[in-house]
Amino acid sequence: MRRGPAPPRRRPRAGAAGALPLAAVLLLPAACSTGPSLENRGRVTAPPGDSRHLTVGSAGFTESDLLAQMYALLLNQAGYHTSLITVANRELYEPALESGQIDIVPEYAATLADWLNAKENGPGAPPAGSPDLGTTMSALRRLAAPRGLTVLDPGRAVDQNAFAVSRDYARQHHLRTLGDVGAAGLKVRLAAGDECVQRPYCAPGLRRTYGIDVTGVDPKGVGTTPAKQAVQSGRDQMVLTTTTDATLDDFGLVLLTDDRHLQNADYVVPVANRARAGGPGVARALDPLGRVLTTADLAFLNEKVDSRRRLPADVARTYLRQKGLLK
Amino acid sequence: MTAPPDDCLARNEWICGAYLTTRRHILLDAVLQHLRLTGLAVLIGLALAVPLAVLARRWGWAAGPVLGVTTILYTIPSLAMFSLLLPLYGLSATLVVAGLVLYSLTLLVRNILAGLRAVPEETRQAARGMGYGPVRLLLAVELPLALPAAMAGLRIAAVSAVSLVTVGAIVGFGGLGNLIYTGMNTYFKAQVLTASVLCVLIAVAADLLLLGVQHLITPWTRDGGR
Repeated sequence: MRRGPAPPRRRPRAGAAGALPLAAVLLLPAACSTGPSLENRGRVTAPPGDSRHLTVGSAGFTESDLLAQMYALLLNQAGYHTSLITVANRELYEPALESGQIDIVPEYAATLADWLNAKENGPGAPPAGSPDLGTTMSALRRLAAPRGLTVLDPGRAVDQNAFAVSRDYARQHHLRTLGDVGAAGLKVRLAAGDECVQRPYCAPGLRRTYGIDVTGVDPKGVGTTPAKQAVQSGRDQMVLTTTTDATLDDFGLVLLTDDRHLQNADYVVPVANRARAGGPGVARALDPLGRVLTTADLAFLNEKVDSRRRLPADVARTYLRQKGLLK
Repeated sequence: MTAPPDDCLARNEWICGAYLTTRRHILLDAVLQHLRLTGLAVLIGLALAVPLAVLARRWGWAAGPVLGVTTILYTIPSLAMFSLLLPLYGLSATLVVAGLVLYSLTLLVRNILAGLRAVPEETRQAARGMGYGPVRLLLAVELPLALPAAMAGLRIAAVSAVSLVTVGAIVGFGGLGNLIYTGMNTYFKAQVLTASVLCVLIAVAADLLLLGVQHLITPWTRDGGR
C-alpha cells in the first residue's frame, strides 16, 4: 500500500506555543482572568440546564473533529438538535464555551486543568494536572465550576505523550517499558520537539524518573514523519509521539509503557456549558461513548481520517454503528 | 478487517476525483458561505463608504480623519482584527462580515472620494446654473461621474474580500478557508488545491461581474467618449 507522509498532529498541549499567539495576546484583556464578571455571575450560578439546541465545538485537529462528530451524532439520537463549529484553538473556544456560544467540546483532562489553572493563577502557577486521573479530575472540576463549566465523566481513551523505539531495538534489548530502558543503561538520542529539553514530561523526566541516559534531543518535532524515520533508520533511538498515533506500525516502531506514570492523565472528557448542557440528558447521551472508546480505537479512527482521508463524519458514524451506540 | 481502500484520497494526490464526489455537498456549502460572507461585506461596506466619502467631499476638514482612520483599519493584520472584534460579536458570521467591512472601507472610501474630487468644477457650476440643488447635483451629476473610479475601488474591495474571508476559518466561518485550513493541518493536497482553485474562480468571477456592471451603468465611457 502506498501512502503519503503521516501528517503532523496539532495538539492542544498546555504551554505549547499556540497556533495564534498574537490572537491570544490580544484576547487577554477581553478574557476574564479572575473568574466570572459581575454580569456573568447569574449565568455561572445558574442550575444545570438542558437546552434542546446544542453547539458542539471542535478545535480543528483530526481527533477533536472526530470526537465532536461523535458527540453530535449521539446528541442527535437523544433528541437534541446540534450544530458543529470548528475553532482554531482553546484561546478562542474556551471563552465561547463559558458564554454559551459553544455548549460542549471534547477536551483532555490534564491539559485543560493546566490551561484553566494558568488562566486563573497566571502562567507560573504550579501545575494542576497530574499523572493520576482522580487528582486531575478533581482539580479540573474545581477550576471549571466557577466558570460555569461542567466536566462530564472521563472516558477510557487517553491521548498523552508517549515514547516509541524501533521493534528491532526493543527486541535486541528486551524493552517493553520505559523502566526497562533505564535498567538496561542504554544511551538514547531522542527525536522530539526542541522544547523537550526543558519539559518535565520529556528529557528531564526520562532522566529523573526512569534514569535513562538521554544523550541529546534531535529537534525533529513531536511525532513527525522525519522524527519517526530518524528512529527507523537508527540515527536516533527513541521518538516522542502520542498514544493515539496509529502510524507507528508503518515505521516499525513500538510504544514503550509509561510504567512509572511520568505523563499526565490526558483522558478524553466532554466539557459542557452548565447552564445550557450541564443537565443529565447530555451526560446520559455521551457517557456510553466514554465507556466504549479506547485509546487504540481513537488511534485507528485518526488514521482513517489522517492517512486515508475519509470524512470525519462518516468515520464517526461507522464507528458508533459498529459499537451499537448509534441505531 | 476489510482491505484498506487504495484510491486517490489514500494516495494523497493533488487532483482527486473521489475528493470531488465525496465532498460535493461540503464544497457547495463552503462556496455558498464564501459568497454570502463576501457579498454581505462588500454591500455593507459600500453602504457605509458612500456617505463617508460624500461627507469627506462636502466638508474638507473631514477628509483627513476619515481617510486616516480607514487606512489605519486597513493596516491591522486580519488575524488580529478578528480577535479584536471577538468580544463584540462572539463566534459568528457577523464577526467575519464586520472585519471584512472595515477592510473594504479604505479601498471604497478612497476611490469614491477620488471620483467625486475628479468631477470638474465647471461641470458643477453648469449644473448649479441649471438650477440643480445640492442633493440633485450629488445624485444626478457628481455620483454618476464618480462611478468609474468608485467601481475600480469596488472591484479591488470585492477581490480582496474573497481572499480575506478565508481567515475567518479561525472562528469557523471562513467559507472555503475552513477547508484550506483543515487541509493544511493534515497535508490533504486535494482539499487544499480544490478549495484554493475555487477561491480564485470566485475572485475572477466577482471581478468580471463588477466589470460587466460597470460597463452597463457607465454607457458614456464607451465608444470613445463624447
